[in-house]
Amino acid sequence: MGAKAAENGAKSSSSAPSPPPLKAFFRLKTKQQELLIRVASLALIYVLAFAVRLFSVLRYESMIHEFDPYFNYRTTLFLTRNGFYEFWNWFDSESWYPLGRIIGGTLYPGLMVTAALIYRLLRFLTFAVHIREVCVLTAPFFASNTTIVAYFFGKEIWDSGAGLVAAALIAICPGYISRSVAGSYDNEGVAIFALLFTFYLFVKAVNTGSLAWALASAFGYFYMVSAWGGYVFIINLIPLYVLVLLVTGRYSMRLYVAYNCMYILGMLLAMQIRFVGFQHVQSGEHMAAMGVFFLLQVFYFLDWVKYMLNDKQLFQSFLRITLTFAISVGALALGIGTASGYISPWTGRFYSLLDPTYAKDHIPIIASVSEHQPTAWSSFMFDFHILLFLFPAGLYFCFKRLSDATIFIVMYGLTSMYFAGVMVRLILVAAPAVCLISAIAISATVKNLTSLIRTKGKAPLAVSGKGSSSLKASAKRSEAQALRFRSLESAEAQALHFRSLESAEAQALASETSKAHEASADQSLPFQHNCAIALLVGAFYLLSRYAIHCTWVTSEAYSSPSIVLAARGAHGGRVIFDDYREAYYWLRQNTPADAKVMSWWDYGYQITAMGNRTVIVDNNTWNNTHIATVGRAMSSYEPEAYEIMQSLDVDYVLVVFGGLTGYSSDDINKFLWMVRIGGGVFPVIKEPDYLVNGEYRVDKGAAPKMLNCLMYKLAYYRFGEMTTEYGKPTGYDRARGVEIGNKDIKLEYLEEAFTTSNWIIRIYKVKPPKNRW
Amino acid sequence: MPPKSEHSAAAGGGAASLVTTAASLPSDQASMDPFLHLLRLLPYSFLRPPRTRLKLPSSLALPSPMTVFSLVLLTYFAVVSGLVYDVIVEPPGIGSTQDRYGTVRPVVFLPGRVNGQYIIEGLSSGFMFVLGGIGLILLDLALDRNRPRSVRISFASFGISATIISYIMSMLFIRIKIPGYLS
Repeated sequence: MGAKAAENGAKSSSSAPSPPPLKAFFRLKTKQQELLIRVASLALIYVLAFAVRLFSVLRYESMIHEFDPYFNYRTTLFLTRNGFYEFWNWFDSESWYPLGRIIGGTLYPGLMVTAALIYRLLRFLTFAVHIREVCVLTAPFFASNTTIVAYFFGKEIWDSGAGLVAAALIAICPGYISRSVAGSYDNEGVAIFALLFTFYLFVKAVNTGSLAWALASAFGYFYMVSAWGGYVFIINLIPLYVLVLLVTGRYSMRLYVAYNCMYILGMLLAMQIRFVGFQHVQSGEHMAAMGVFFLLQVFYFLDWVKYMLNDKQLFQSFLRITLTFAISVGALALGIGTASGYISPWTGRFYSLLDPTYAKDHIPIIASVSEHQPTAWSSFMFDFHILLFLFPAGLYFCFKRLSDATIFIVMYGLTSMYFAGVMVRLILVAAPAVCLISAIAISATVKNLTSLIRTKGKAPLAVSGKGSSSLKASAKRSEAQALRFRSLESAEAQALHFRSLESAEAQALASETSKAHEASADQSLPFQHNCAIALLVGAFYLLSRYAIHCTWVTSEAYSSPSIVLAARGAHGGRVIFDDYREAYYWLRQNTPADAKVMSWWDYGYQITAMGNRTVIVDNNTWNNTHIATVGRAMSSYEPEAYEIMQSLDVDYVLVVFGGLTGYSSDDINKFLWMVRIGGGVFPVIKEPDYLVNGEYRVDKGAAPKMLNCLMYKLAYYRFGEMTTEYGKPTGYDRARGVEIGNKDIKLEYLEEAFTTSNWIIRIYKVKPPKNRW
Repeated sequence: MPPKSEHSAAAGGGAASLVTTAASLPSDQASMDPFLHLLRLLPYSFLRPPRTRLKLPSSLALPSPMTVFSLVLLTYFAVVSGLVYDVIVEPPGIGSTQDRYGTVRPVVFLPGRVNGQYIIEGLSSGFMFVLGGIGLILLDLALDRNRPRSVRISFASFGISATIISYIMSMLFIRIKIPGYLS
């Protein structure tokens, strides 16, 4: 390809002597033009990836979204104020009262350390930014970096055209945007970059066999381990990939060097993270990597023995003995390890990926998170749009041209799509693979179409050498034809020999010079030229629809901060509900500094970060019994709940209520999960007590236990006097669409402390016990 | 289990016995493996093991890439139609609603949520996606100059129509499912 380009360049530059500067661009050699276009496209894609994620910053303000990012923000704040050693050894007594939490040992520090480093760098360059701005914009920054990595990865797998398309697709893919929008300061924002980077470095190491690239991939893996718990995907996919390569007979020294270096160094580096600890040698989820490591050593050993022995028979028998021995020893070691308990079994979180029905039956906390639900077709369509058609086509192209790199991307795509089907949240992990494979489909199809358009011309055209392989087959035939006319055009035939790889060009020359001109014209399809142009236009139309879809989805669905709610008012204007922050700031300013707040675990991180008060349970959900205790308190009658609250030293109770505004993610809608989780640990709480004929109701026909439990009372206290909608009776719950059953609520052990302006958050103070009998 | 000396070598903890041919009596007696002698005594002094010749079938070859690809395509169809969702959530095949006269009308698309489906709607959408993919594959196959011209023309036309149909249908489905789509 380089020789052709130089030839073209020589032709173009020799045609005009000393061009004026204005026309200098058009006189650049093709290779330089191509480089300029590529670099300009990448720069634009980089800026696009950053800009498309800024909707919520422009609409609302620069703030942290959702729940989990508040914990990350609080820890980053601590890190920047107190330094790394304090952060690494931090024991936090402000959450999970009275148990506390060892934060240093139970988090993944990659995100916080990255943000702190960026903050330090900016401060060093005398940009006086606040750490919150850095936290808000970390995810879009790393999304832009991901597009660059996607370009290089696409270039490694297929060619630079596919790399460019992959970068453009992943810049706006909604599946990725959903977790990396500005303000979403969560592990995934950095982790997807680390994931793709590690995969790219590993594939590069396998392709080149270089120790330097393998070392880089080990460090990339370390960054991934420090960033997200999803590193388990890497440590299982890469051994699976190595196994597939071994099975398909692609064992090579490059693979051996790459995997060994990456596994050993990566494992040692991963043990530096306290949260991960010795899991790489102790946990069942990491055993696949170890097994493949030993298998690779056996392969190398057998290869060496085969080289030393010249006797085939002897080698066959030696092969059989060694394989039997190795497999039996491996199985025995695994059996002993698992039976003795040294190797822990798969944790519930990851086991439910292999057996999706497991969480529903056994672990209600995992099953209750809305992100963990299995995926319906519309979620796929929403997050991927036309990439869903391009994915199978891209797989087809990969299977047509199998190499070590394409086998990897196929495996990554398939495994990640399966997991994305099991859990909605994992669409994020599948997004880079789907974008890369779709980019291969687009690039190959567009190349086919443009080659159809360009081969019509009579002059020998410079068609890119990687057209479809079918053209190569026909080139060999036309080469044979050209050889027949060697006497007439010997120079052409020799040129054909020399350029036997440039398939389409050989065909063009052959069709020109040989008498098979009519035959080759007959082989082309009717209206080929026009059809190809029409199809190209169609392809660009599809891509433009993809861009429109992605922008719409980002703007409407994925840019809401969740802590600030917006709705359309009566006259179409936007109404903003800022109740959450109002309540947290009330807590911060009006309660004693050592007050303990009980709420459902969703709001724990936000209360600690913004309200600066101690909470009983928060989003970390590491202690199921503690959460079940809170759930039991919420679902009991008031006297029993008061006892539980006394035992936990609770001062304030916080409840989220959406009946006035029609907000549907409130605690009444989550109440059944409180019952289920509480009932999972304390059998005194039974779910059927709160249902009527299996139906969950809050109106007059509701179960009596439901009408008198603590959650009901706290949510609907004084609500019976409110008129919420014109023409409806008082106490009409707009979120459930019914009039509530128990309007006259009296609280004996709590008193109302604060209700926000739209009644979304209600805070109650727990009264101290009476002095007299 | 015939006491081949190779097997007994493995059973004896991988002792370095490189005698790998099938067991014959003289080598049995020459062996110093205690288990072998025990087994020869009991039960094989009165039981006669069958002479089996176990060999891995030599036809155990790797399937061709295109075979694997068709299996992959089927799996993709299953996943993208929401099969896992169907297995876990167990929605009805098709929904139903009653209008004010009491007649029961079928509802094909589950309204109200993005992440929810009935079984039939999932399967039909998955089929549309796979059809689009096949359309693009056929377009590529149509460019293969080794095939006869009529086959290529039919591939090309079918490919183009499959792609167009699948795109239009998918857009239609998503518009029905999400009422405010692109507004």
